[in-house]
Parts: sequence; structure tokens; C-alpha cells
Amino acid sequence: MNRGTGGGVVATGFSLLFFTFLFGPLIIMVITAFNSSSFPRITPWECFTTEWFGVLFANDRLMSGLANSLVIAVSVVVIAVPIGLAGALALSELGPRLRAALYTVLITPILIPGVVLGISTIIFWGAFGRSVGADYGSIFYSGMFLTLAGQVTFISAYAMLVFLARLQRFDPILTEAALDLGATPGQAFRKILLPFLGPAIGSAAFLTFLASFENYNTTVFTILSGNTFTTALASKVRHGTDPSLSALAVIIIGITLIGAVVHEAHMRRKEVMRTGTTARSRIYGNPVLRTLVHPLTIFVILLGIAGFATYQGTQHDAGVCKQQILDEKRARQQELLEEQRRKMEAQKQNQAPASTAPAEEPVKANPSPFGGAFKSNGLKPGE
Amino acid sequence: MKVLQNVFSEISGKHGLGAASFVAVAVLFWVICLITLPQVAMLDYSFRFNLPAAEVGGPQDVYTLENYAYFFQGNDGTVNTLDIGILVKTLIAAVFVTFIDILLCYPIAFILAHSATGVAARMMVIGLIVPFWVNEILRAFAFRVLFGSTGLINGIGMSMGLWDQPVDFIRADVALYSGLTYAYILLMVFPIFNAVEALDRNQIEAARDMGASWWRVHWRVVLPVAKPGIASGATMVFMLTAGALAAPQILGGPSNLWFTQLIYQWFNESANWQRGSAYAVILLIVCISFVMMLMRVFKVSIGEIGR
Repeated sequence: MNRGTGGGVVATGFSLLFFTFLFGPLIIMVITAFNSSSFPRITPWECFTTEWFGVLFANDRLMSGLANSLVIAVSVVVIAVPIGLAGALALSELGPRLRAALYTVLITPILIPGVVLGISTIIFWGAFGRSVGADYGSIFYSGMFLTLAGQVTFISAYAMLVFLARLQRFDPILTEAALDLGATPGQAFRKILLPFLGPAIGSAAFLTFLASFENYNTTVFTILSGNTFTTALASKVRHGTDPSLSALAVIIIGITLIGAVVHEAHMRRKEVMRTGTTARSRIYGNPVLRTLVHPLTIFVILLGIAGFATYQGTQHDAGVCKQQILDEKRARQQELLEEQRRKMEAQKQNQAPASTAPAEEPVKANPSPFGGAFKSNGLKPGE
Repeated sequence: MKVLQNVFSEISGKHGLGAASFVAVAVLFWVICLITLPQVAMLDYSFRFNLPAAEVGGPQDVYTLENYAYFFQGNDGTVNTLDIGILVKTLIAAVFVTFIDILLCYPIAFILAHSATGVAARMMVIGLIVPFWVNEILRAFAFRVLFGSTGLINGIGMSMGLWDQPVDFIRADVALYSGLTYAYILLMVFPIFNAVEALDRNQIEAARDMGASWWRVHWRVVLPVAKPGIASGATMVFMLTAGALAAPQILGGPSNLWFTQLIYQWFNESANWQRGSAYAVILLIVCISFVMMLMRVFKVSIGEIGR
């Protein structure tokens, strides 16, 4: 029935490839978190370990950045959601020509490169601070304030888009009815329009929180000498990597998956409730199953699994295995040295391991026959 | 001014004076203090000399074109091929990434809108969104793990005997382009999806019944409907790719800079904010005029972006 329009084998195959591209890198990153090799990789596999989680939590810069990020993200939600709401309300009341003009102005912060926004924010507030005679300790030179200003500029536009989509489905007759029945415009706004926008406020808050927390391009300029979680993360990735970042990815992806599953359970439940097919549905008709698929139950179960995995992880000790790998490497190296000596005697120097690895890699690359035996810090334990 | 007053009284008549004042104050603050004035300040700054703090505002503090002249001519008056080359390379790479994203996302958006049903469609939507809840930096890091010289691809390739020296994907920018393509997929899928979803299935069936081949159906029936979505997605992907900083810093080769990295260097390493501002203005103007030009070519308006 889908002949020639995107159904069938080709479509399924393409979708599979597409989602492999989407999830493959993440899955591989997650796996590297459990390899004891000091560079995040899967091949060669050394030991199953959970030590990278410990390394992650011992990173002070990242942890203090996390605190900053949370403060900024919450403030951005508190400011950007109302501003976005105001923008959406203004747009919905304007005539077509003015509406197009204002829409263009309000949507540009999303399109302007983040670095440009960051730069313009610090320059403007710096100049503003200078013109009112504020000194360098004042708020206009504080990284937290500047980051807030810079992020609100474009994150408000995200919130606005969410509200616009919701407002398109609003029936203005509802407000008119309220006014006819004697409500003041203010009451109609609070009792009719705001409750209608309720779900949109929730998703706008979520979106703005995430956008603020993840933002790098603007924040890296506006935070000045400080750190947020993302900028600390970026500087760590740029200056040598280790699998503790993969461990972080495991945690974030875990939280994301739990959130997604619980949200999906919530949506399905709502849909079944709304359509009123509760009694006919096999799952929702059965009291035990119904409790089992309640979002809260699912959340508790998933949290339990995560907690159990964490506990098991803290009990795991990779020491023996790592010692074994170390011994193996020593033996291997010894063997290779012997072999090389023999080869040198046989005048075959051109087989010596070439080290043409790029400079940005913390570990030197090896030609395959020698595995990881010659990498510069491959013999140091516990790195 | 009259128009604004009318709008204000209309809102206050509908939603009350409190709501109207809130809308007015918030929108004015947003447009003036957050959007317009900072850009003006940056533009002003880019025409000034890099002076020590004590001389700012003094007789030395005059306007100059020197920062822009540097971009075109460098210090010695010859053409600044290095910086101009980086800008051109950034634009070409951004176009390339945008194009790949269109090729990847158009089929997925179409499948999502017209072939997938029920559970499969919901799983696809979740599958599309979930990877983008993971931090941008970590996504770039994942590609580093994948493409590093001891990464998985080199590991598999060498163990299968396809090549015997690690291939330097980072220096060849393969890692960077893949990472950028990955980073903005979501922004391409959903605009196209929104546009294609509006298409009536019967039109496709009709075209099929009249004997159109599958590519003809897409070219003559689906693509015209998808065009605003593609334009909207392409604009966002292009602007974000050209303005990307994290991915080039993490995945870019050491000798291969992105234009935003140049701006970053003027700010953080050379402490020449004025010149950095000038470069930021150049990036902004070039990107916006490029997008405007393409929009004119493809006959779409900016009002359709973000829908």
C-alpha cells in the first residue's frame, strides 16, 4: 500500500541506518565508560571497571560548574518563560504587517551565532556599567549576570515558539464568553487563558532549562573567568580526555532514558483516560497491570534498578584484572623486544614501530601488530 | 507610536491592564535591552582602537576602520588570505553539512509523516529527541571516541585489514563534519516533518495512479509541499553550523580553524576585543546576507522559520 512512496523495505532499512547513526556514537561512548583503558575506547578491551565514576565526582571544577549551571538555568527559566509568553501574546494581537516585523526581530536571536550574542552582551553591559560609574566588582562585570542576560536573549525565543504553537489552538470565543458573563479582562486572563497555556508553560520551562544548561557558545564568553558545567566539560575535553566523561554520559543518558520512559507512560495513560477506553483496554482494565504502568510506579522501579546498578558498581573491584592486564603487557613487551632484537640482527630495521600519531592525541597510536603495548602511558597503573 | 498605543489598549481591553503592562514591559525590555542595544554596542566597539583601560573615552578613543582593514589586508597591506580563507571554508563546510542534513532528514521526515504508524511512529519521535537531551559537548566527545586514532573505526578497520596505519579522521575533518551533521539533525527533521505532514495522502495516490514513478512523486508532489520546511530547517542548520564553536574546538584538526575559533582567539588569547567584535560583525553580516540571498532564490520568507 505504500508502494513507491516511502514504505516497505527501503524505508525500514533507511530508518534503521538513520537511528544507528543517531544512537551508535552514544552507545559506544557509554561502553567506553566501563573500560579501564585510560583513553576512552573499546578496542582493545582491558577490564570492566567502575572507577571512572569516582574520577568524575572527584573533579572539583566540574562539580562547582554544575552548581553554577543549576543556578543560572533556574534563573533563566524564571525570566525567559514570562518574556517568551509576553512575546507570544504581543504577536497574537498584532496586525499582519507589524506581526511579521516583530516576529523577525524576536526570532533573530535564535539565528544569530551564539558567539556573537555572547560578545555583544559583555560589551553592552560593560559599557552600560561604565556609563553609570559602576566599578569592576559590580553586577555588570559578574559572569553569572552576563550569562543570564546573554542566555535569556535567545532562550526566550524558544519559549515564545512553544507558546505561539499553543496559542494557535486557543479559541478566543472562550475569553469573549467570560467577558460577556461579567468577568473583568484580568480575571478572564487569569482564569481562562493562563490555565489553557498551562501545559505549554511546563514544556517551555523544560525546554528553557535544558537550553540554558547545555549552552556553550554564548556562555563561554559571558561567564568570563568563571565556569559552568558545560564550559568546564568543554575545557576538559579539549585538554586531554579520559573515560570519566563517558561515565558522565552514562549518567546523563540514564537520567534521559528514565525521563523519556516515564513521560511516555504518562502520555499513554492520559490518552487512554481521555478517550475513555479504560474499561476495554487489556492493560488499563486490570487493576494490577494498571498500577504497574502508572508513571510513578515505573519511575520508582527504574530508580530502583539504577540504584541497584550503582550499588553493584561501587562494590566492583577491577584491581585483579588490571594487574593481570599489566602483567600481560609487560610480558608482551618483553616478547616484542626480543623479537625486535632478533629482527635487528637480521637487518630489518624498517619494521620498527613508526610513531606518526597526531599531536592532539594524549596517547600515541600504534600500528596494529603491536596492540596497545607501546603506548606511552600504557604501563602506568590506575590512570 | 500610535499603532503601539492601539495594540496596548487592545491587549488591555482583552486581557486586563496588568497583563497588557506586563506584555509591554517584557517585550520592550527584550527587544531593546537584550536584542538591539547589545548588537549596536558591539558594532560601535568594532570601530574602536584597542586601548588600555585608562585611555577609554579619552582623546585617543576615536572611530577607526582598522579592525576591518585587518581582516582584508592583514598587517602588511597584502590580502589576508588566511582569515578570508577560513571564513570561506567555514561557509562552504556549513553549506555542505546543511546539504547532508537535508538528504538525511527528508526521507526520515517523510517516513515519519506518512509511512510509520502507531507505536513505530512514537518510538521514532522519542528516538529522535532523546539523543538531543545529551549535552552538546558529550555528543562531540562521542565522535572523538569514534574517530580518534585509537578509536573504534580505526580499530575495526585495522583489525579487518582494510588499512594498516591509523587513519587520521580528525585532521581530515571527517570527525568534524560527522559531528556537526549529527548535532543539528533534530532542527532539520521537525520543520520538514511539519510541512510534509500537511500533505494529503490522496495526492500521492493520485500521482501514483496516473503512473508517476516514485522519484517523480517526490519531485513533483511532495517536495513542493516540503519546501518551506526544508528552507526553515536549512536556515537554522546553516546558521548554527557556521556559528558552532564547541564541535570545531573538540573535533577540528589542529591546523584547521573554524571562523568562530578565530573570534574566540581574538577575545581570549590576544585580548583584542575590538578586533574580535569586528570579526563577529563580519560573521553575522556574511551569514545573514547568505541566508537572505538563498531565501530570495528559493522564494521563502523569514516568517516561515521556526514553525
